[in-house]
Amino acid sequence: MTQEKGEKSINLTVKVWRQEGPVVKGRLETYEARNISTNMSFLEMLDVINEELTLEGKEPIAFDHDCREGICGMCGAMVNGRAHGPEKGTTLCQLHMRHFSDRDTVVIEPWRSRAFKLVRDLVVDRSAFDKIIQAGGYISVNTGGSPDGNAILVPQEAAEKAMDAAACIGCGACVASCPNASAMLFVGAKVSQFALLPQGKPEAEKRALAMVREMDDLRFGNCTNERECEAACPKEISITNIARLNREFLKASFF
Amino acid sequence: MQLDSKQPGGPLADKWDNHIFDLKLVNPANKRKFEIIVVGTGLAGGSASASLAELGYTVKTFCIQDSPRRAHSIAAQGGINAAKNYPNDGDSVWRLFYDTIKGGDYRSREANVYRLAQISNQIIDQCVAQGVPFAREYGGLLANRSFGGAQVSRTFYARGQTGQQLLLGAYGALSRQIAAGKVTLFTRQDMLDLVVVNGQVRGIITRNLISGRIEAHAADAVVLATGGYSNVYYLSTNAMTSNISAACSAYRKGAVFANPCFTQIHPTCIPVHGTYQSKLTLMSESLRNDGRVWVPKTPGDKRQPRQIPESERDYYLENRYPSFGNLVPRDVASRNAKVQCDADKGVGETGLAVYLDFEDAIKRDGKDVIAKKYGNLFQMYEKITADNPYEAPMMIYPAVHYTMGGLWVDYNLMSSLPGLFVLGEANFSDHGANRLGASALMQGLADGYFIIPYTIGGYLSGASIEKVSTDHQAFRDSVQAVEARIQKFLSIKGRRTVDDFHRELGTIMWEYCGMSRNDENLLKAKERIGELKGEFWENVLVSGSAGQFNQNLEKAGRVADFIEFGELMVTDAMARKESCGSHFSEAFQTEENEAKRDDENFCHVSVYEHGGDNKDPVCHKEPLVFENVELTQRSYK
Amino acid sequence: MNWFISTLWSSIGKKLMMAITGLCFCLFLLGHLAGNLTVYGGKDLFNAYAENLHALGPLITLIEILLLFLAIVHVLTGCFLFYGNFRARPKRYIKKKSVGGRTIGSATMPYTGVFMLGFIILHLLNFTFIDKADQTSFQIISNTFSSPFYVMFYMIAMVVIGFHVSHGLWSAFQSIGANHPKYMPFIHIVSIVFSLLIGAGFGVLPVYITLIS
Ligand SMILES: Cc1cc2nc3c(=O)[nH]c(=O)nc-3n(C[C@H](O)[C@H](O)[C@H](O)COP(=O)(O)OP(=O)(O)OC[C@H]3O[C@@H](n4cnc5c(N)ncnc54)[C@H](O)[C@@H]3O)c2cc1C
Ligand code: FES
Repeated sequence: MTQEKGEKSINLTVKVWRQEGPVVKGRLETYEARNISTNMSFLEMLDVINEELTLEGKEPIAFDHDCREGICGMCGAMVNGRAHGPEKGTTLCQLHMRHFSDRDTVVIEPWRSRAFKLVRDLVVDRSAFDKIIQAGGYISVNTGGSPDGNAILVPQEAAEKAMDAAACIGCGACVASCPNASAMLFVGAKVSQFALLPQGKPEAEKRALAMVREMDDLRFGNCTNERECEAACPKEISITNIARLNREFLKASFF
Repeated sequence: MQLDSKQPGGPLADKWDNHIFDLKLVNPANKRKFEIIVVGTGLAGGSASASLAELGYTVKTFCIQDSPRRAHSIAAQGGINAAKNYPNDGDSVWRLFYDTIKGGDYRSREANVYRLAQISNQIIDQCVAQGVPFAREYGGLLANRSFGGAQVSRTFYARGQTGQQLLLGAYGALSRQIAAGKVTLFTRQDMLDLVVVNGQVRGIITRNLISGRIEAHAADAVVLATGGYSNVYYLSTNAMTSNISAACSAYRKGAVFANPCFTQIHPTCIPVHGTYQSKLTLMSESLRNDGRVWVPKTPGDKRQPRQIPESERDYYLENRYPSFGNLVPRDVASRNAKVQCDADKGVGETGLAVYLDFEDAIKRDGKDVIAKKYGNLFQMYEKITADNPYEAPMMIYPAVHYTMGGLWVDYNLMSSLPGLFVLGEANFSDHGANRLGASALMQGLADGYFIIPYTIGGYLSGASIEKVSTDHQAFRDSVQAVEARIQKFLSIKGRRTVDDFHRELGTIMWEYCGMSRNDENLLKAKERIGELKGEFWENVLVSGSAGQFNQNLEKAGRVADFIEFGELMVTDAMARKESCGSHFSEAFQTEENEAKRDDENFCHVSVYEHGGDNKDPVCHKEPLVFENVELTQRSYK
Repeated sequence: MNWFISTLWSSIGKKLMMAITGLCFCLFLLGHLAGNLTVYGGKDLFNAYAENLHALGPLITLIEILLLFLAIVHVLTGCFLFYGNFRARPKRYIKKKSVGGRTIGSATMPYTGVFMLGFIILHLLNFTFIDKADQTSFQIISNTFSSPFYVMFYMIAMVVIGFHVSHGLWSAFQSIGANHPKYMPFIHIVSIVFSLLIGAGFGVLPVYITLIS
């Protein structure tokens, strides 16, 4: 391939958290990433390091990824202390190396939270999110027997707001960036999506109570309104969804 | 081998209803006793798991990712079709059926496609009830947009994230059944083999991706919904773990494979820009609603796009296909882009791109309207390319995107192996030689929500299924074979990485078995893949051990299967001596360079049976009979 | 009653308790400040205000008990939240940067809280639980403020309270679910103005008092 306009090659020092399993001790290891094209994505930069490690007979860095287009929520790590790296509204797989400069040092760590156990290197277990959804993050309808799609009117504004909340990809950046490792943005987004739609109303109370209880049982931290989650969220989901969750929860509890 | 498609008799419109009535039912109290394994949690697998569990079956569901919500379906952007005719523009079940058959260049079954069109409307109802936030009009009614290959607006969408929202709907339904204890979920599991006992499919062998443990799981029936195999080409729009391994294991165990060479090349992707690239990104087809495709009229014109005056631009799709314009089907749009680039009219640094321009749309509707429709796509484009599509036109180029081929299934979605059902992109059933936009989501959900719940009952109530546990010899043999293969990967200790092999396979496939095919190239491909396969088994380097989280090892298995499968694709491409839909064989084209079918000799599904290791596959044919539509030369002029 | 306890004990319940008690303290601060501002009217006005206040008798005791109760709830809940949040991330990051959501106020809540608790105890010892038989209220404060160290300490404490309240006030609204793009910007402004008012209003007092005594 020919060089793209504006494409440069940079060298980086990369410090990556390496840990073989959940119970063994981990450490930061340093690698040199050479001739990294600024058009590469962050994960492609890791691919380059991994190819080299493999050829040297060493074990490559384990990291989660799948769609590589910012929608599956599989990827994610702390890059220089920020969830998904320095760019706003961007997942790690969509972060491009043009946002780094030659000779930068990049520290990469896994998401850290009691509720997300470390699996290996940068891979963590986020099944806690699935458990929260299982507690009530759905509308209870069986297949078949639904009324015509247009029988349920949804005001455009409600649909848009619900969509804003539903854009959550469940990556865990909110928990990772929250000083308290709280999952309120994740839960708030799901509760909000259904609270805003007429279809979600019948179960709204039950849902809010059950999901918050599950979240608490899984030992996520408590929200103290630091707004770090909103700033780190690759889908830029607003903390107004947390306020809505608070409202729904209190409404369900007291009224 | 007798391939019975089991299409019911009677008038087209009544076939499905009649069939449902004819299918035997499983007594509600007995459903609990039947165990069903579902592999895959995409739209097809997720919806199937949930619906089967709702009926009372005991379901075990498997996926590779750490959560069912991350299946590749999540990435679908544009929308889902249904014949609701809400916009009052003349749509109907018949028209959707007809468009799909025609779009597929008459290489799919009438009965299947008609059923798909019928079910399409129920899917929308179901998803709305689940709380999928579809786009709405001001009055609160559902909104629609247009997609390629259709002259009506029948596509429902949730911004540029329709697949995500539909999948989250199915994931919600699945989660509800997990909570109810009806579905047991196994995440981070890689299916590596299929177990057949006495001619019936009775289970699977998986590798636990965290511990590396090889596990055996038994059931009364197995449903595969493992998605497509575009990653044969290394660079594709598919997710990194999309694979052929699950389907390949079924193929090796005797399930036959249909139309392997039918791969769709999507016209609007972000062009390749480096050898390190790991993945291509799709720009939804919906962009062609408002974007205009063009190239400079003069070959080699290197001016900036905005400096090229209107009179020197060639809006080649609008000019060649006045009635469909920029909304011609994908195969047509892709091929035309290649023709332009081959004529040195390609743009960008590599010359392998055409423009998709929103200038007129922004002038007409204003930036806000365009931003509302495509904002997230524009943003994605800018993130990747650092260019702003509001100001300069996008550059796009075709990329491998979808595979119409898949495991052969009958009308019940059962493969040639009793007890093995195949849903979604993993089967071959509904799209013929080319899939129309927004119809994969429709098919995945139709299969999972509304077809398999009926047809699997028909099988379970009719077949005599003995009790089998994982202690059975067939399971033990399978486990052993899987472990031996893993040990083989680890013991080679060669000098080339798995990715390196994958990249080379991709290059071979793209160059010689890609958008446009000829015998010479296909022969070359066959030869090179053979060599690559030989080298792989002698020179691949897989680090780490079997008993650990080992992404290298995972990939090794997938690439080994891709290589083997690549051969089958080439074989099929060579055997199909006609052009149809996505399969463009240079020797068969009309004077206007359109695909030229040979209905006399090739109006069939090519079905391959595994011939044994290192032996040629055996080709069977399922003739396609058209009773309701007339086969015509596809024209979008 | 069970549901009541479990609601309050949930993560959102705890926030609710922090929010309501916090809002009460904001009201109290406002009242307290209004009273103290009488100093600017001269020592007689201030002494008169103090006497009137004490003349309320049982009502004042009631308010004091209420405040004590609120304080216990606020402090204890805060401690539980702090401990829970500490436990929620057993392994800390080697490198952690704010992405832009945190403020000094929000990041230091537990610490400014503890500091304020200490200050309040001292404050009560100095001004409330003190023999008032042979000196006027004004004398008490002017005596205490005659120490420049105390003045410094007091002023620092007021800045700390300002920070605490700057996060606490808007945060209380968020916690009870009152966040809407329509009025949240206004609440943010009010929080800033209020914390400046409290910080400056109380903070300038000792300077003025030292000047006039
Ligand atoms: C970028 C993009 C955009 C698209 N946009 C549209 C669109 O707008 N409209 C439309 O109709 N279609 C679209 N498509 C096509 C459509 O998304 C897919 O065809 C469809 O989602 C496939 O669904 P599926 O359920 O069959 O498989 P997938 O969603 O691919 O799911 C496969 C599942 O199988 C599991 N699996 C696979 N292999 C194994 C194994 N060996 N062991 C265990 N589990 C396994 C995976 O974990 C996953 O859960 C798009 C596709 C792409 C790539
Ligand atoms: S890999 Fe899917 S979001 Fe990053």
